[in-house]
Amino acid sequence: MSTSPAVATRRLPGVEGVWVFVLADMCFFGVLFVSFMQERIKQGALFETARHTLNPDFGGINTLILLTSSWFVVLAVDAAKRDRLATIPKLLLAAMLCGIAFGISKAIEYGGKLAAGITPMSNDFYMFYFSLTGIHLLHVIGGCVMLTVFWLKARRGEFDSRNMKVLESGATYWHMVDLLWIFLFPLLYLLR
Amino acid sequence: MNPTQPNPVDYSMWKLMAWTGPIFFIGFFCMWGLLGSNFPPMAANTSAQDMWQHYKDLQTPIMIGMSVCMVLGSCYMTFGAAVSRVMRRIEGGEGMLANIEMTGATITYCPIVVACGIWLTIALQIDVLSPEMVQTLYYLGWMIVDLAYMVTSWQIIAAAIVFLRDKRAKPLVPAWVCWWGFVTVASFFPVSLIPFFKTGPFAFHGMFNFWIAFPTWYIWIVSMSVFIIKAVNRIEIEDGAASPSAVREQSGSLIGAR
Amino acid sequence: MALLTKPATLVWLFLMAATCVTTWGLSKDQFTASVATLSIILIAAIKVRLVLLHFMELRHAPLPWRLLLEAWVLVVTGAIAGFYLHAAPVA
Repeated sequence: MSTSPAVATRRLPGVEGVWVFVLADMCFFGVLFVSFMQERIKQGALFETARHTLNPDFGGINTLILLTSSWFVVLAVDAAKRDRLATIPKLLLAAMLCGIAFGISKAIEYGGKLAAGITPMSNDFYMFYFSLTGIHLLHVIGGCVMLTVFWLKARRGEFDSRNMKVLESGATYWHMVDLLWIFLFPLLYLLR
Repeated sequence: MNPTQPNPVDYSMWKLMAWTGPIFFIGFFCMWGLLGSNFPPMAANTSAQDMWQHYKDLQTPIMIGMSVCMVLGSCYMTFGAAVSRVMRRIEGGEGMLANIEMTGATITYCPIVVACGIWLTIALQIDVLSPEMVQTLYYLGWMIVDLAYMVTSWQIIAAAIVFLRDKRAKPLVPAWVCWWGFVTVASFFPVSLIPFFKTGPFAFHGMFNFWIAFPTWYIWIVSMSVFIIKAVNRIEIEDGAASPSAVREQSGSLIGAR
Repeated sequence: MALLTKPATLVWLFLMAATCVTTWGLSKDQFTASVATLSIILIAAIKVRLVLLHFMELRHAPLPWRLLLEAWVLVVTGAIAGFYLHAAPVA
């Protein structure tokens, strides 16, 4: 295994600003997670009953999709570091398609809930379910737009080992979207 | 006097306008937050009768607080003008983002003045209003002031993009302030949920939509004010206008360059 | 297949396996509610930390940034677990 030259010095991938954004966004979600847990204490029985109407298969598969998408992005950044220019767009496209798959799965899930007459107004559990997953979905949609732009840039050969600040910043954001879902999924679907 | 000499930049006026930023954020903290009893704001799930009582008890402080806020709110516009001028130095005269920033800041004043006017009128007319009317008007103020967030978002995005493009070795506004702007915009989107919730984090008095969205914006205003005041001073030095002799040299070289 | 021996790939395989364990293993009824839930929270925290260190490359990041984000994981995990234990598990 060859050691990457980047390892020699401590460095933050991407621009520092994106880390300010990511940390603040993670803190916002942290506050929302705590709000959810507080409400869960007050309305334990209701939350437990409502939770059972969620299908953990959707949540689990969506986690696998996002993890895989993140992995593709890691490989894309790695390909850029090694100047394998032809591989980068393929990996970014794969990552973006995973994001779309997440969106489709979420649309099916929301559709099923709405068809069953469940809306954010039904009770506080569904309020949290729709708002938290909805805000997260907005992050996924934003990420897909970003990955599409990156894919086009990569096809024009705009990313390589000397030009990867933008790619790394975007990758950092996309991993955060993955990371937030890793907490969000058990919180809503699995706590009992 | 050479007729081609460019109009002198009025740095004093520019600095004065930059200082209206602190007037805005200190004024609002005291008049809207403290005197107007908005820390915390009266909750969305308060009964109509309790809302009426709140306005009855606090009639005079709310009337003073809101009427002062309607006047002070205009400082967001003058501050926006100062920011826009600094942006123009980076963007060039043809830049569109400086215009968006200026217009965004100006329009942000509109929902503020309308909402404060509504809350002022509730206090003013409390003796002839029914509790339901008080509740309706109180909600009206919040819906207007909160759901206008996108116009402020455009202002913040425009400023962030331009200041991130600053090529100076030490940028006029540091990158973290620009990224904090993006954080602020992100924190605004869940505000769209306020019509649907009377309790929980997404109510207008809730953990997220009040205690996160507003302080995040507030931190942006405070930090932007600090760096805009510094930026005007730095631009004055860059222009060589800090000392009168340097001004003459500078304008001479400008003419020579034409 | 150099791809399959990359550290990031091994991390990804571990994350996928851990997700399957929490989603389709620990949620079953043979585990008591609190054991299952606390394991699920702990596994989520480990997964998040792996994403931070390996995918977001915090292993090689300046220490203050790494500590800030690791603190986030600690605080959020602690808060979720704390609130969970504070509420009597619904049997």
